[in-house]
Amino acid sequence: MTTTSQNEPNTGPRRINFRPSASTAIVAAAGSVLVLLVFLAIFADWIAPYDPLRQNLIKAMQGPSAAHWLGTDDLGRDVLSRLIFGCRIAVLAAAEATSIAVLLGVPLGLFIGYRGGWWDWVVMRVVEAVVSIPGIMVAIVIIAILGAGLHRAMIALGILFSTSFLRLARGVVLAEREEVYVRSARVIGASDRRILLRHIFPNIAPPLVVQVTLTVGAVLLAEAGLSFIGLGVQPPDASWGTMLNSAAAYMDLNWFLAVPPGIAIILTVLSVNLLGDVIRDSIGRGVAVGVDPGKPAERFVPAIAATGAESPAPPPLADEVLRVEGLQVLVSGRDGHEVPVITDLSFGISRGETLGLVGESGSGKTITGLSILGLIGAGGRTTHGSIVLNGRDLRRLTPKQLEEVRGNEVAMVFQDPTTSLNPAFTVGSQIAEVLRTKQGLSGKQAWSRVVELIDRVGIPRPEERARAYPHELSGGMAQRIAIARALSCNPSLLIADEPTTALDVTVQQEILDLFRDLQGEFGMAILFVTHDLAVAADISDRISVMYAGEMVEMAEVDALFARPRHPYTRGLLSAMPHASSRNPPLPTIRGNVPRPGSWPSGCRFSNRCDFATAACERPIPLVGTDRLVRCIRAPELELKAAS
Amino acid sequence: MFRLVAQRLLALVPLLFIVSVLAFSFTSLLPSDPVDLILGDTGTQEQHEMLRERMGLNEPLVVRYFQWLGKAVQGDLGTSFFNSVSVTDAVLLRLPVTLSLTAISALIAIVVGIAAGVAAALHPRSWIDRLATVGATFGQAVPNFWFGLILVAVFAVNLRWFPATGFTPISVSPWDWLRSVTLPSLALGLSSSAAIARQVRSAMVGVLQQDYIRAARAQGLSSRRVILRHALTNAMVPVVAVLSFQITVLLGGALIVEQVFAINGLGTLAIAAVRQQDIPMLQGLVLVMVGLVVLVQLATDLLYGLLNPKARPT
Repeated sequence: MTTTSQNEPNTGPRRINFRPSASTAIVAAAGSVLVLLVFLAIFADWIAPYDPLRQNLIKAMQGPSAAHWLGTDDLGRDVLSRLIFGCRIAVLAAAEATSIAVLLGVPLGLFIGYRGGWWDWVVMRVVEAVVSIPGIMVAIVIIAILGAGLHRAMIALGILFSTSFLRLARGVVLAEREEVYVRSARVIGASDRRILLRHIFPNIAPPLVVQVTLTVGAVLLAEAGLSFIGLGVQPPDASWGTMLNSAAAYMDLNWFLAVPPGIAIILTVLSVNLLGDVIRDSIGRGVAVGVDPGKPAERFVPAIAATGAESPAPPPLADEVLRVEGLQVLVSGRDGHEVPVITDLSFGISRGETLGLVGESGSGKTITGLSILGLIGAGGRTTHGSIVLNGRDLRRLTPKQLEEVRGNEVAMVFQDPTTSLNPAFTVGSQIAEVLRTKQGLSGKQAWSRVVELIDRVGIPRPEERARAYPHELSGGMAQRIAIARALSCNPSLLIADEPTTALDVTVQQEILDLFRDLQGEFGMAILFVTHDLAVAADISDRISVMYAGEMVEMAEVDALFARPRHPYTRGLLSAMPHASSRNPPLPTIRGNVPRPGSWPSGCRFSNRCDFATAACERPIPLVGTDRLVRCIRAPELELKAAS
Repeated sequence: MFRLVAQRLLALVPLLFIVSVLAFSFTSLLPSDPVDLILGDTGTQEQHEMLRERMGLNEPLVVRYFQWLGKAVQGDLGTSFFNSVSVTDAVLLRLPVTLSLTAISALIAIVVGIAAGVAAALHPRSWIDRLATVGATFGQAVPNFWFGLILVAVFAVNLRWFPATGFTPISVSPWDWLRSVTLPSLALGLSSSAAIARQVRSAMVGVLQQDYIRAARAQGLSSRRVILRHALTNAMVPVVAVLSFQITVLLGGALIVEQVFAINGLGTLAIAAVRQQDIPMLQGLVLVMVGLVVLVQLATDLLYGLLNPKARPT
């Protein structure tokens, strides 16, 4: 079982997606907390059981009791009453500081954004300077100027947080100012003020709402912090921060004093933030981070319809390096259902041979290459068949053994060389890393081998290029580096996945020549995946045509081009442009490759095939000896290439 | 590398200049007259005038600013109005305290944040992923000073593992120093660690889907190497970009958390300066803090360039 386990994603029961119901529950809970908060703030005088300021030193420092539900503080004041009056301060503080921030920041931001020039430059430099000072220190300095106390502290916080509103408003103006509708409003002579109010302001509203929720949470925390250090609300007034201040002095006597105000702050801020998240999501500016939870994957039960026909194994080749037999690969789709993407796939490659794997996108070519390496990814797994490389079935290896095989016995060159090299490291170090970890070379040995390899793949000044980063190289050069890395451990099989597709046409030919050249020297087998028949014809000894997850035809290059036997191959060949005959428009194959999961149950090409009959509705095996074809009508049709 | 350092340093000069202007002009707005503060109600009109003249308060603001700046550049931040100690000395005395808290809490935030973020990215929807998400949500809502109080209640008052208050300089006893900064640093650092974990996670999830990760695996490199070297190096790029912001937040938080643990750092100094309307002290504190922030920014800029070759000047 170890063979398949590495390809299996989460085969255990996955958790069900709670998201929609969870978010309504969050809105309800957070909303009720805030409603309660405002309610308590307004009606504190009636609700609070005691006067929050009335001291009773005899009853100081009591734990919760029937008379005092949350106990009493160091001066014998009722904690619950103080907590309730603290709600009032919290609501006032949040409203005051947030309004100041908005009223100060938004107009100024609109103004400098719209005006631009010196105004913009000076104000933005000042904002940058203020933002580089820790926020609490800015507040402390402003309080030094204004004096301590709730309202002054809130003005300080309002000024502090106005910077984020200023930047937000300015950003929106800068983005909108050049929009066509604003420019056309200006052309028809709308006044600046009208443009600001009618055209720009509506665009600020959504991000503004989000920023307000963020600010309210931050203000509540900052108010508590300032009151805690004695610069906000002044004793004996009850705010959550001052309550924590007095609690801090008696942590060893009665630590419970710190609990109620702390919980009150956390619940309030949490509710504001969670509501803010929901608002942000509903406004649509928030993009979910990470992986979509998705539904539980249902295990696909292979049925005849999906596996298609079981074809007889093709005859073994001389000097065979790789032999794939009866391979089936499943991938879990977006809805969580597993669908087959490759079925009944068998082929072999011998030493020094190049097998071209041709097909349209979605035919399963790339997955074939990746499944040989055991790298289909978390969403896919191989379920049937064998992948025998140098006499060992890779599907039966442990992940560790497979890791050993990769690089040493089989390597892969990918389509886009600029993304398949790590941008953070020099190209030389990426090759050297392989040599050191796979072959145990010392740093020095590895480096001289790197320079040799880079030289060998035809890059001038190899020593200098080895120290270059991927983004400093052209696509063609990066692909040569990727090839050098793939060949660094002298693998017996090289999988090349569309290695020339991303390159300029002139460079394509050079890379193809390089492959041929290197094959002559290293003698590896090449599995060359491409959608381009011309490229395949150029580089391959044999070509295997794939359609909708299965092989439909395989033959020597010349035989295939001269006499295609499958209607799909014929369609592909006739769709190839020829330099000689430009006049007739290129014929195309009608329809599209069906997506995995929606394949016809019989011959998968039957719905696009001009020759389909009732007999094509049951699974067709791949048959033949020196050339293989998956078409029951092949013997009678005797197709000819379109040229 | 030298060019990168020089370039960044040069870019920071205007910022420092503007901050110094702000620090000077804003604190000069203080409502109280420094001469009154120093002499109180005592002293004759003449004495007040003499002191005013001696302190240069009759000069125009601009002249006073440049005099102050000229001295500040040489490391002289003036003299406290309150107790006539040198501001530079007073700040330098408290700096190691606040730096210890900020540095250790940043260390906790970064190490825990990266470890949890990587684990969460590798195992989406696992317990560690959920913990990082819940932790980040709570981390934004729990006041760090309250968290500090709770840590004191549990680990200092009840378990007696750590001292509840005070600070031991590292030069006196490294062990006691570590014990004295552990709780305040945890109070500060853990909520930031959850924020960093979330950033690392989302960056890591993106990087793990990149071609070069598959290519590295195809080359037979071990999972460990692919994740820790190839993926993490790239995932750290966006994280490092916001790291200096996180550390600035920690520095500000340290000012308040100091009060929980009765630690005599820059926060205590700043609060006293506000109460005493000590203008030179506040100016000096702002300047020193911005200096610290700028150094952190420089360090993260360099780290950013190190991780992301495309950001290096050519």
